[in-house]
Amino acid sequence: MEEWKQKKVLLVEDELEIRNMIDGFLRKEGFSRIFHAGSCKEALVICTSDKPDVAILDVMLPDGDGFGLLTSIRRFSQIPVIFLSARGEDEDRLLGLGLGADDYIVKPFLPRELVLRLLVILRRVYAPPQIDRLPVFQLGDSTIDLEAAIVTRDHYEYALTAKEHALLRKLYENRGRIVTSDALCQSVWGDDYYGYENTLMVHMRRIREKIEPCPSAPEYLLTVRGLGYKLLVKEEL
Amino acid sequence: MDGAARILRRYTGASILIAVFLLIVNYIILGTFVFKGMNEGSPPIHVTQAVAEGLHKNSSHYTLEPNAQEWLQKSQAWAMLIANDGKVIWDYAIPDQLPRTYSLAEVAQFSRNYLQDYPVFVWEHELGLVVVGYPKDSLAKYQFHFPISWISDLPYRLLALLFGNILLAALLSLFIGSRLIRAIRPLISGIHALSEDQHTHLEAKGMFSGIARSINHASSLLQEKNALLKARDEARSNWIAGISHDIRTPLSMVLGYASELEESDAVPFEQQQKASIIRKQGEKLRSLVSDLNLVSMLEYEMQPIHTKPLRLSTLARQIVTDFLNNDLAETFTIELDVTTEQCLVMGDEKLLVRAITNLVQNSIAHNPLGCHIHVQTTVSPNQRNALLIITDNGKGIEQSMLPDLMELPYSSKRKSPLHNGHGLGLPMVARIASAHHGHLLLTSDSGKGMTAELCFPLSS
Repeated sequence: MEEWKQKKVLLVEDELEIRNMIDGFLRKEGFSRIFHAGSCKEALVICTSDKPDVAILDVMLPDGDGFGLLTSIRRFSQIPVIFLSARGEDEDRLLGLGLGADDYIVKPFLPRELVLRLLVILRRVYAPPQIDRLPVFQLGDSTIDLEAAIVTRDHYEYALTAKEHALLRKLYENRGRIVTSDALCQSVWGDDYYGYENTLMVHMRRIREKIEPCPSAPEYLLTVRGLGYKLLVKEEL
Repeated sequence: MDGAARILRRYTGASILIAVFLLIVNYIILGTFVFKGMNEGSPPIHVTQAVAEGLHKNSSHYTLEPNAQEWLQKSQAWAMLIANDGKVIWDYAIPDQLPRTYSLAEVAQFSRNYLQDYPVFVWEHELGLVVVGYPKDSLAKYQFHFPISWISDLPYRLLALLFGNILLAALLSLFIGSRLIRAIRPLISGIHALSEDQHTHLEAKGMFSGIARSINHASSLLQEKNALLKARDEARSNWIAGISHDIRTPLSMVLGYASELEESDAVPFEQQQKASIIRKQGEKLRSLVSDLNLVSMLEYEMQPIHTKPLRLSTLARQIVTDFLNNDLAETFTIELDVTTEQCLVMGDEKLLVRAITNLVQNSIAHNPLGCHIHVQTTVSPNQRNALLIITDNGKGIEQSMLPDLMELPYSSKRKSPLHNGHGLGLPMVARIASAHHGHLLLTSDSGKGMTAELCFPLSS
């Protein structure tokens, strides 16, 4: 994580107090190279001279708005941008994201949220290219390798079908939480999922046969009546 | 434009009716006034006949019956009997200057016309020809001759005349009527436009220029009022949007520093707790501010609604799941009951999720001791509406308070002040429902829990 915090952050915000507050949070989180700008003009100067790696832009600025500023920056730079604005209407958010911003945070915000979102963006943009490996995890005696789509239990290997794999992946991403049957169907069959509830039940039974020691009394893949399913993961590799 | 057609139809019908009525009245007037006096007294031919029949010869003496004589006197007429040889053999009050002998040619002539300007009438008699003469200039004598074919055609001709008249009346009234309609049509469309609240400007000329000017005036007045109303609503909405915007920046700092203090290890535990309270209250303020903005936009119909077909059961399932996933306190139980998956409504997903979440949140917020929440999606008995019913078995609220809950806090329609909560939740749900052409129905009583029913038109 620490290498992200060496990145140069441009903070464009006309309210000095807010700027200082955000600066304080970022420094506390370990960021040290923070550039301040109170207007579009200053921001553009910093963009050309210091070449920041990421920018946090306010929308309302004394000499223009952040949308215009982003358009100007985009003429010479593709740095990731987060909008931080008191304007929270759908139109503003859509405009900001439509202009190519990476995120749009509406004030008032929790500082932790800003930092987390900033880190997510930095990681996504500047992470060395690597193949995302799907997780391998343990359910009791079963080892589920989502990358290979194989369940290993009692020295037997069970192959997961494409649909079973997609369902297990969705459940694992939301492990410990209920996933509605709508969301599961949608993840497998897309937006025209309606009518696949029974098929979903069949697939769930097949998954249980592969991962549960006793499929008729499931311990890990639970049915939440009327709502959906929940995957309980106790140990992780 | 059916209005104009109806007016034309009525107008033409009335015109034809008037024409027929005039025809009848004219007949009556002709009969009673114009032709009155045509046959005043006794018709001459009758008098002549009476004289011919009343004239008898007894040996060499002629006698005229008294009633025939009386008729002659009354008409101041004279009479004579011309024998077959042309000689007058009897006379009554005959003027002196008339000859006493007539040739065949003279008889033929006067029988058709006049005898020395006396209008005369003839009738045959066993002894010759009875001639009755009226005073000069008292009667006009005309003779008519018609071909038989013309006479036999006469009924048809009269019928044709009648129908021709009616047709002419219809055409004329249609012509005049359509001219009238052409003048009225813009007025009618102007009035229709007024009733639909559209701008209208009519050309003020012709016979209805005054009315056209009035309609134009009314239209511009309406437009002005609408513009004023819209400007006022917009100003209010903008004012609220501005305030909620201005609150966001200071609130950012309150939330930011409070949560920093809350998480800071350098701060004693007690102070951390206080910071936590500040942060929680700040978050309440944050949700109030965004609710306020949304409610004001909904109130003035300025919230753009992005509708798409949504399955109500999917939304309900998602919301119930979210409550369960987000650590609902153990004192609360929540249950979903989907009677049919077929409840498809056209809706704005974000707004509907907000409305349903608000209702569930409402049950939670007003029953701190816990309750059972039952969420049901179903179709109304008449199969026209989708229903989402949220029932709790909590403490409920007095029946008389229910109407108040849907009014905005501090609005003049609200009878009693708020008790708890910021009071925007239920009014917001009600407004979201009405923005979807639906409604919110609350039923409750003290100690009997609360039932909130959201009703939307089903989308096919």
